[in-house]
Amino acid sequence: MLKSMQCGLLLFALPVWGLAADPEDVAAKPKAATKPMASTKLKALTGAEVSGRIDKLVLDRLAESNISTSPRANDAEYLRRVYLDLAGRIPTVDEAKDFLDSTDSDKRAKLVDGLLAGKDHARHLADIWQVLLISKNSDARRLDRKAFVDWIAGEFAKNRPYNELVREILTAEGPQDKNPATTFWLSQVTVDRMTDTIGKVFMGSQIQCAQCHNHPFTGWRQDEYWGLAAFVMKVVARPPGGKQTTSPEVKEAPRVVKNRKNLPESAKFVEAKFFGGDKPKVKESQALRPVLAGWLCASDNPYMAKATVNRLWAMMYGRGLVHPVDNINDTNPATHPELLDELTSQFQASNFDLRAMLRAMALSETYQRSSKPVAGNEGALSESYARMPIKVLTPEQLFDSIKTVLGSPEGNRAELRKAAGANKPAAAKAANPEALRNQFLALFEGDADADSTEYLAGIPQVLNLMNSPRMNPPGAALRITQGLGQAEAIDKLYLATLSRPATDKEKERALRAVKESPAPKTAFGDVLWALMNSTAFASNH
Amino acid sequence: MNPLLRIAEIEGLSRRDALRLTMAGVGAGSLSGWVPVLARADAEGKPVAGLGKGAKKSCIVLWMDGGPSHMDTFDLKPDAKGAGEFKPVATSATGVQISENLPNLAKQMHHVALLRGMSTQEGAHPRAKYLLHTGYREGQGGIAYPALGAIVSSELGREEFPLPSYVSVGGRTYGSAFLGARHQPLVVGDPARGVENLKAFVGNGAFDKRTDLLADMESAFRKEYPVGPGKDHQVTYERAISMMKCKEAKAFDLSQEKEAVREKYGSSRFAQGCLLARRLVETGVRFVEVSLGGWDTHQDNFSRVKNLSGTMDQPVAALLEDLAARGMLQDTLVVWMGDFGRTPKINARGEKPGRDHFPRAWTSWMAGGGVSGGRVVGRTDKEGGTVEERPIGVTDFMATVCKIMGINPDKQNQSGNGRPIRLVDKGYKLVTEVLG
Repeated sequence: MLKSMQCGLLLFALPVWGLAADPEDVAAKPKAATKPMASTKLKALTGAEVSGRIDKLVLDRLAESNISTSPRANDAEYLRRVYLDLAGRIPTVDEAKDFLDSTDSDKRAKLVDGLLAGKDHARHLADIWQVLLISKNSDARRLDRKAFVDWIAGEFAKNRPYNELVREILTAEGPQDKNPATTFWLSQVTVDRMTDTIGKVFMGSQIQCAQCHNHPFTGWRQDEYWGLAAFVMKVVARPPGGKQTTSPEVKEAPRVVKNRKNLPESAKFVEAKFFGGDKPKVKESQALRPVLAGWLCASDNPYMAKATVNRLWAMMYGRGLVHPVDNINDTNPATHPELLDELTSQFQASNFDLRAMLRAMALSETYQRSSKPVAGNEGALSESYARMPIKVLTPEQLFDSIKTVLGSPEGNRAELRKAAGANKPAAAKAANPEALRNQFLALFEGDADADSTEYLAGIPQVLNLMNSPRMNPPGAALRITQGLGQAEAIDKLYLATLSRPATDKEKERALRAVKESPAPKTAFGDVLWALMNSTAFASNH
Repeated sequence: MNPLLRIAEIEGLSRRDALRLTMAGVGAGSLSGWVPVLARADAEGKPVAGLGKGAKKSCIVLWMDGGPSHMDTFDLKPDAKGAGEFKPVATSATGVQISENLPNLAKQMHHVALLRGMSTQEGAHPRAKYLLHTGYREGQGGIAYPALGAIVSSELGREEFPLPSYVSVGGRTYGSAFLGARHQPLVVGDPARGVENLKAFVGNGAFDKRTDLLADMESAFRKEYPVGPGKDHQVTYERAISMMKCKEAKAFDLSQEKEAVREKYGSSRFAQGCLLARRLVETGVRFVEVSLGGWDTHQDNFSRVKNLSGTMDQPVAALLEDLAARGMLQDTLVVWMGDFGRTPKINARGEKPGRDHFPRAWTSWMAGGGVSGGRVVGRTDKEGGTVEERPIGVTDFMATVCKIMGINPDKQNQSGNGRPIRLVDKGYKLVTEVLG
């Protein structure tokens, strides 16, 4: 069980990387986890070297299986892909043109750097982490989630070392309006939910399986689960509701309050114990979350870096090296174990630098491969990375991309009102942009654990995309194509939606649609409608 | 014919459908093996997954939002300390009495099996609603569970049927979780207005031109990217477009119903929802939930329950009578339930007496779908606060609904992260008394 535990990196064995040992880390470190690793893996690499290792290890495996690789994605493919993956939206027409027209040989790296430094990137990561960390459940329905999103987006914008960010979340206390990181705790009202989320997000493990029984495959014991849960049992978190008028608050009580609201029936009361590790020496009245954070956020913790790297990989490549991403255990090995180990070490060596890791991934040749199959890889599985798997846009990416094409919803309000007269008056009600986005996300929301390469929307969602006045402001196509001749207009509609000009064949077909249209004025609207309802638009390829 | 439709028709099942069928235990090899299975099953009117008897059934859930007071509707206790203001009256079922405020329903009670021993664990609205919709405690095992409607859709929904198999009338409900967006409920807010966004934004001719153009884009995309989400995307669009155009969608248009029938149901929003439910089931929709809110009667319990009983009585009675008259009742399970019951003790906190949340003992009922009606299962004590005989927990209830519908409650689906999840949690005891 948990072999990785025994070969965890030792924090103070890494002085070459200039990491200062945090006294808290040392104090909390279990003795069993202090066996140093083989020193061959301890070399810190540059970003380009990390990209190179990704490519080497992926190619080695492809060669073993005799699978050919698809060629490098062209500029337009790469542009749209990297915008969606790093900024959470497609590029605007101007952004697309700038990149496509540039003759700079280093333009991909410059694009990636620009995107990683931009506010859309921070927002995109905040969207993803919000879904992971802020539990949606009825107890937390009145919780202000925006405060958390704004806060964590700010931290991502600063590229704060990820382990520090996690430490701040894990130890957060006080009123929510003073410390938005407490939102994590306020959304997980019960001890089992807190423990499950910590396991899933920060440890990449479905330890909740061990909540009610010893896990049959992993060897995780129920005591192990409740040993971890013991670290959070003293947390008192009351979400907003009832007659409460002050900001909801999180604190850690001196001792466990046994209460049916906080604890499930299966709860066991055991001494706090690091999952798969030792019991720390603690006093009963001592705050335990800092001890947990000291262990989990230590740079040699066997879980956190690996879980994070695996999740970042899934964001970029459509699938975790361990899949599902939150099911890391010895019975579910990585497709490329050596690669996962190396990336984990590099992430630790870089002081948990999210941006550096995403940059290395985005600039790897593996990431830059086209999604189009070639002879010799048509049947290859997505986890071979012989070609880039096609990902379906998340609801957030889809909404933000639609907004990129149509312009801000407020700008369309007058048109909406006019259009809605014919279709649905309620749709014309002025709503703030955040509310519009939330409505859209609520309609499209699926299973957070779903496979990102599967199209999962159903009929109500598709009806909304095709027919709702909000998604079809009548003036949008005219505005995009204003002052252009027919052929240029088609190109611009393609640029606005698919981030590339139309091919000759596509142009011919679209022009035919325009020509056949009884009302040429609305004909560009037909082309825009078809583009925005296409698989090409709804996917990242 | 629309080219989008044509493509999907020729190529048959999508990858997602295929995956779903694998989970349902149909075949395990190539696609080509499944298509004939489907075709044959369909011709015989039998379900894909080989469920056998009962598989043609549909279910209508009448959801009484807020938690109706059992002691003021279907489990009156005239001798209790908190008896309340209403009198029990005789019904068409021998020996079965219900509230005097439900005169029309009283004439239909020979169809109804009252379950007076409901006993559940959740006393807060959202958690109770979750429990009664999914059969699981919210957050149990760290998983989001599908609602009953999504389970019925995934088990009994027909591939070729152009409408969604799970429709909710009158507001939001619970979704399909790991069963996928395909089994999400189609929510109809106002039954008089029908489905949102069902009409194209442009005229019919212009819409066809648009979909023609889209179809050409799609086939070009799939030529370039034969592996990936293209197929599922296209099939979903094809289904939505066929829904926009299909004759079945007329079921949503209540104006097509005869005036005499509409009058029978009544004119309230809930009444129209009941009529819509019948029309949808008649067309082939497998699961319809119709909700009636306002039952959270902490204050002014008696006049509010009286009003709500009035709102409920005529349409629900009309629904049962109508289903029976059309020969549909045998295949349509009607379930009446809410979050929980209400306290036997009358609270005097406010100006007018009220009753509070009470999950420990309450009443739900079932009718149709082969349920043996005209009977009472379970009994509360004379105060209405303790189940004395035949307690029914949420898994007992859910498993019984599944059994009636011809669905195997022991079947396991896979959650998004690959864990096997039973349709109904283990340890249930079927309510055999209603199984006929």
